[in-house]
Amino acid sequence: MSQLGKRYRCEVCGTEALCTRAGEGMPSCCDRPMVIQEPKPLPSSD
Amino acid sequence: MNTTDFLTISAAICPERDCLVFEGQRQSFLRTNERANRLANALAGLGIGKNDIVAILQVNCPQYIEAYFAIARLGAIMVPLNFRAKQEELVYMLGNAGAKALLVGSRYIETMRAMLPRLSAIQHIIAIDDGQPDMLCYEELICSGAADEVFTDIGDDDVTVLMYTAGTTGRPKGVPLRHSGFVSYVLQNVDPASPEIEERNLLTVPLYHVAGLQAMLAAVYGGRTLVLMKQFETTEWLKTVEQERVSRAMLVPTMLKWVIDHPDFCRCDLSSLRVLTYGAAPMPFEVIKKAIAVMPRVKFINAFGQTETASTITALGPEDHVIEGGPDVVEKKLKRLAMSIGRPLPDVEVRIVDESGQEVPQGETGEIVARGPRVMSGYWRDEQKTAQVIDAEGWLHTRDMGWVDDEGYIYLAGRKDDMIIRGGENISPEEVEDVVCAHPKIEEAAVVGVPDPEWGQQPVAFVILKKGETATTEEIIESCRARLSFKRPRDVVFVESLPRNPMGKVLKKQLREQYVQMSR
Repeated sequence: MSQLGKRYRCEVCGTEALCTRAGEGMPSCCDRPMVIQEPKPLPSSD
Repeated sequence: MNTTDFLTISAAICPERDCLVFEGQRQSFLRTNERANRLANALAGLGIGKNDIVAILQVNCPQYIEAYFAIARLGAIMVPLNFRAKQEELVYMLGNAGAKALLVGSRYIETMRAMLPRLSAIQHIIAIDDGQPDMLCYEELICSGAADEVFTDIGDDDVTVLMYTAGTTGRPKGVPLRHSGFVSYVLQNVDPASPEIEERNLLTVPLYHVAGLQAMLAAVYGGRTLVLMKQFETTEWLKTVEQERVSRAMLVPTMLKWVIDHPDFCRCDLSSLRVLTYGAAPMPFEVIKKAIAVMPRVKFINAFGQTETASTITALGPEDHVIEGGPDVVEKKLKRLAMSIGRPLPDVEVRIVDESGQEVPQGETGEIVARGPRVMSGYWRDEQKTAQVIDAEGWLHTRDMGWVDDEGYIYLAGRKDDMIIRGGENISPEEVEDVVCAHPKIEEAAVVGVPDPEWGQQPVAFVILKKGETATTEEIIESCRARLSFKRPRDVVFVESLPRNPMGKVLKKQLREQYVQMSR
């Protein structure tokens, strides 16, 4: 199941997707499941 | 993607989280998104559409942010007006922009009425926080507009904001800022909203300034709660950080000094603060050194940019504010802290060039130029001024002078127009100011070049002494001789304060004029 607010990255082509509504499915790209990215809070300059 | 998506995304990811906090009122991301949609639909009903200009004259408040998203969702362009501008400047900006509608706060209603006879192009005036018999009412518009999402065909390169920059000289210039500029910055530098991570950003920088607007967009995309203050006031700032458990804020150097020198500083619980960004004017070394010492848990970032570059183009990061290591490393880091604006961000090219536009060797002073998706393509309706700052290869000439070290860190050497040329030798006012300020009796100093019949120009220091101190002109000049040689100031003017623009930049043109007047 996909997770709200998570970023998913395709390890083949580098595409990133942001989940704004979670559902049963999992995002895939280039015929492979996309990999979840861990958020890295702090710092950005704003 | 365009900036309007920032709010849509965060409203989907963290709908119930506080988006805006202002004077005790709280509003969630979902509600903010809904109100922005209602306002957009109501404005569309008034005939506002793609590329129409809608100006706003108001201090920071939640409606300002709703209005930004409403206007942007229609593909229209917001003009955030400087509420400190003089009436003549406001009339010029509104006329030059071609504003069709204007949102105005109660503080500025009378100013607006006085200007109206000269603003015939404006079709709609909307009173933001007070009902006015001869104006539309903001809240009534929100109530009358449908909550439906607004879909407009917005291109990445469409203009979203027309921001007037007065800088430190001359008439305001309109800078068209594109969606793509802000999107590029935000996606490169800010993580999107996360259901697990909550941050609270205290915004005191006015939204008519590019740093305020950039911080607002970054916060909305990042799902960060924006705690708004109408205007900066030190006691209120300290109280708000404590009460709202603020985790990040931006301050201009003068504000940071007021904060750490305030008698309540030690009494307030500021333990929630994690990131403090500063910029917009040179940071006095003693101030940042003290700030690091008194707030050891805070990560400091020095952000450098200008309106024409849609804000930040270089940053001196938190790691550069940690002064540790061997003596060589410590010396290098202290020098960076005192003078560097850091390294360029990934989405912008930055070079240092000479008068002919050729890159200068490392260590030599030249003009800082920038290029990339965030840099403006030209001033609004002003080809002449555009040609003065953007060259044939698309480089924006920032008129800031600087040099780069062997690790790519850029150091400021003053404004091009402020550079002092004495007998053909360039003197950086910043270099002289650093030495003058090292004098133990001096609180602050600004150095300018004044006309000299023999040398063309001579450096003169305007100096504020520390409380209770006295000093002579000769004493100050002598203290600079060893380190500055021919670059030392040739006269010293003792003053109570320095003239500054609202962001804290010293108005050197005014000082030069003052000195010339005094010498007559």
